[in-house]
Amino acid sequence: MTKSIISCGVYLPYLRIKRDEYLSALGRCSAGMREKTVLDIDEDVITMAVEASRVALAGIDVSRVGVVTVASTGFPYQEKAQAGTLVEALGLEKNVLTAQHSNSTVSGTESLLTALSLLDQTEQPYALVVVSDAPVSGPDVDLEHGFGAAACAFVLAKDEPGLVFEGVYAQSGEAMGLRYRLPGETDIRDIGVKTFAMLDYNETVKGAVTGLANKLGRNLTDYRHVVLHQADAKSATALAKKMGCTDEQIKEGVVYPYTGDTGACSSLLGLCRVLESACAGDCILISSHGSGSGSQALSFCLETPVPKSVVFEAVLGYKRYISYIQYLKQKRSI
Amino acid sequence: MENVAIIGAGQTKYGDFPGMGVKELFAEAYLEMLQSVDRGLEQQRIGAAYIGSLSAGSGFQLGQLAPLLMGHVGLPHVNAVRIENACASGGYALYNAACAVASGKFDMVLAAGVEKMRDVSSNKGRYWLGVSGDTEYERLAGSTFAGIYALMASRYMHEYGLKREHLSMVAAKNHCHAVANPKAQFRKEITIEQAMQGVPVAHPFNVWDCSPTSDGAAVVLLCNAKIAKEFTNKPVYLKGFGAASDYLAIHDRDSMTRLLATRRAATEAYKQAGVGPEDINFAEVHDCFTIAEILAYGDLGFAEEGLAQYLLEEGFTRADGKLPVNASGGLKAKGHPIGATGCGMASEVFKQLRDEAQEPSRQIKNARYALSHNVGGSGGTAAVFIYQRGDA
Amino acid sequence: MSAHISIPMYQRAVPQRYRLTGKLCKSCGKINFPPKAVCKYCLQGASFEDVRLSGRGAVYSYTVIAGGGAPPEFETEARCKGSYPVLIVELEEGPRVITQMVNPPEEGIAIGMSVQAVFRKIYEEEGVIRYGFKFSPA
Repeated sequence: MTKSIISCGVYLPYLRIKRDEYLSALGRCSAGMREKTVLDIDEDVITMAVEASRVALAGIDVSRVGVVTVASTGFPYQEKAQAGTLVEALGLEKNVLTAQHSNSTVSGTESLLTALSLLDQTEQPYALVVVSDAPVSGPDVDLEHGFGAAACAFVLAKDEPGLVFEGVYAQSGEAMGLRYRLPGETDIRDIGVKTFAMLDYNETVKGAVTGLANKLGRNLTDYRHVVLHQADAKSATALAKKMGCTDEQIKEGVVYPYTGDTGACSSLLGLCRVLESACAGDCILISSHGSGSGSQALSFCLETPVPKSVVFEAVLGYKRYISYIQYLKQKRSI
Repeated sequence: MENVAIIGAGQTKYGDFPGMGVKELFAEAYLEMLQSVDRGLEQQRIGAAYIGSLSAGSGFQLGQLAPLLMGHVGLPHVNAVRIENACASGGYALYNAACAVASGKFDMVLAAGVEKMRDVSSNKGRYWLGVSGDTEYERLAGSTFAGIYALMASRYMHEYGLKREHLSMVAAKNHCHAVANPKAQFRKEITIEQAMQGVPVAHPFNVWDCSPTSDGAAVVLLCNAKIAKEFTNKPVYLKGFGAASDYLAIHDRDSMTRLLATRRAATEAYKQAGVGPEDINFAEVHDCFTIAEILAYGDLGFAEEGLAQYLLEEGFTRADGKLPVNASGGLKAKGHPIGATGCGMASEVFKQLRDEAQEPSRQIKNARYALSHNVGGSGGTAAVFIYQRGDA
Repeated sequence: MSAHISIPMYQRAVPQRYRLTGKLCKSCGKINFPPKAVCKYCLQGASFEDVRLSGRGAVYSYTVIAGGGAPPEFETEARCKGSYPVLIVELEEGPRVITQMVNPPEEGIAIGMSVQAVFRKIYEEEGVIRYGFKFSPA
C-alpha cells in the first residue's frame, strides 16, 4: 500500500508585524525575519487548525476521514482532547482515531508519522494531519522576537496518487537547556548560548537527513527540494549548504522571512510552499527539529501534483501590518 | 367588555437618586397618584396591582417584587404580580391592568412600573442591559442593546436614504421638549450639530442617540368607566389597548426597518378605540434610541415606512407641530427607568389630557386623543394605548 | 460578570456554532438557522434534516461596537481593538445570522459585501474557551 499526501491547506493569521517595528520600538531585534505573522486576539492554535483543515479538506468527503492527528507546542489546554474540537468544527465522524502531539517542535512530523501508522487501523481511506503552532514568550525575551504563528493541514490517502511517502529517519538524544518550558509556564525560555544550540541543531538534523538518504540509497542531490526546520533566519540554509545542497534546492522551502518561527509547523509549512511548483517525479525531503532534542527527516516523491485550492503566495499576501504597541495588545501584554 | 378609565397617575422624577431604593421610588409615585385622585380614594378599593420591572431593584428582589412594594404602601393583601417584558414591562403592566378591568373581574386596578438602574456598577449594568434580546445569539455576537438598534439604523439608512442628521433631529427635538418637563432627567437643550458630535457608541449611534439609564417609578390607577365620575370630573378613557410580540432575535425577522410587534399592537388598539392615526393629537413613543422614534412613525401609521424622516424635517412632531411626539422629552431626555417607562408615558398623557402639564409652556392644547407606545427590547414585544379625554 | 450562557447550554449549540448546521424543514424545504422546534417559514413543519451551510453570505446590515460600550465578556477584545464590527449576514441558503466581523476592510464595511464564515474564539468564561463562527470579508 502506498500512502500519499493528496491535499494540503495553510492558514496564516491576517496580522503581521515587520522587523522594523521592533527596531523602532526597541532599537533592536534579535530575529532575522522580514516580518512575521501575529495571532489576532480571538485566534489560537485550534482556530488556525480548523481554518487550515477546511482548506485541506475542500472537495473531500469528510465522512471518509478515519484518522485525525494534531500537533502544537502550545495547545490552549494542558489537559483536554483537542482533536474533539476539530471533529465538531469539521463535521468529521465521531469514531475517528485521534492522536495529539505536543511538547516539542518535532511534534509536527510526529503527528504526520502517527497518521501514516493509524491509517492501517481504519477502514477509511483518509487521514487528516493538522499542525498548528504559535510559540509564546514575554516581550523581554530575545527568543520571542522571532515567534510567529501558522497552521498547515494535510490529507493522507491510501493508494491514491499524490505526494508519496517514501520513508523516515530519526535522531534523538539529550540536549539540555535549549528552548524549554516548565509546567505551568506559558513563556518559552532557553539558556541563550547560541553556539551550543547551533551545534545541537546541526548535528541532530544532519544525522536525520543523511541517515534518511543512506537508508533510501539516495544522494541529497537527488532531491528537488530540501526543507529543514527554520527556527531562525540562517541555520537551515547554512546547514543545507554545508551538506552540499544548492540554492535551488533550498530557497523555495524557506518561509521564515515571511512568518517568523512557526515552531512545529516550520518544515511542513515549507513543504506546502514547495508543493505549489513541484512537478511529477520530484523528490522532496523535509526535516523537523525539536530542542532537547530530536529530528525527523521524511522523504516524499511526487507522483501527481497536489491540487491547490489556495495559493500560498495569496495567503502570504493577505495581511495587515500592525505597530509594536498594537502587537503588545494582541499578546495581552498591555 | 367593560370600558376602562384612568382616574389617577403619578410618577417620580426620572434620574439618579442614590438616596432612594426601589421601595422609596415606588412609594413616591404611588403617593403622587393618590394625591391626583380628585375626590380622594379609599385604597382598599384597589383589587389588583400589576407592577412592571426588569431588574426588580437591580436584581435584589428577583422573586415576588410586587407584594414587597404593595406591603410598603399599606396594601399587603392586594392581588399583586410583577410583569416583565424588558423595556415594555410597564406597558404590559398597564395592558394587563386594563384587561383585568375590561373583563369585569375588578373595578379598580393599579398599573405600575419601577426601575432602580443607577445602583449597579457599570459592568453589571452593561451585563443586564444586554440580556433582553436573544442572549444566546445577539449577545454572543458581541452586540449590545444599542448595537441591535444600530443595525436597524444602518439598514434603514441603506434602504431609505435616512441621514445621520435625521437621527440627531430626534435627539435635539426630544432634549428641547424635556427642558420644560420637571419630571425629566435631562433638562438641557442640545443642537442638532451637538447631537451629531457625541462619543461613538455603536455606528451610526453616538451617545446622544441613546436613552440614559435612570431610576424612577410610575403608578397609574385604572377603574371601570362606570364608576370613574365618583372620583373625578376629568377621567381619561383608555379607549384602546393592544399588545403583540415578534421574534426576539433581530436576525429572525423579515424586516429590520419596522417592528411588527408595534404594528400589530397599534392595529389592535386603533380598532378597539375606533380611531386612526390621523385622529391622534399627540403621542408618547418609545425612543430608546433615536432610530426607534423614526421606526415608530412608520409603525404607528404617522408616516409611510421610509418617509418618516420627512416628518422630522418639517417639524411635524415638534411640541409646536401638528402631531407633537414625545413632548415629555421621551425616553431620550425624560429618561428611561426600564420598567417604569410604559406607566410613565400613561402618567404624562393623563396629565396632558387633563390640562395639568404643570409648566404651562408645555401644555398641549385642545387635544382629544393621545397615544402611547412602549417597546420591549428591540421589538420582541410592544404595547400601544389610545386615550381620550373625559371631561368633554 | 458575563452573559449567563452556561457551558452545557453552549455545548448544545456546538453544531450551529462550530460548523453552521442548519435545519431543513421536511414540510417546506426551507432552512432554519438557528434551529426552531417549528419551522419559522411554514409554521407547520416540526421535522427537520441537518444541512451544513456554506458559510458564504452578504452583509445585510452592520454596526461597529465602540470599546467602552462592549459587553463585559468582550471587554478584552474591545480593549485590544478599540472597537469591533457586528454584522447581520444573509447567508447564501437564506437565513440571516448575527455575527462579529474579523479583518474588516480598511475602506469600511458596506452593506452587500461578500463575507465568509471563519472559526474563532468568541469569549472565555470559567476558564473555558467558547469557540464559534465569525465572518470575514470573502
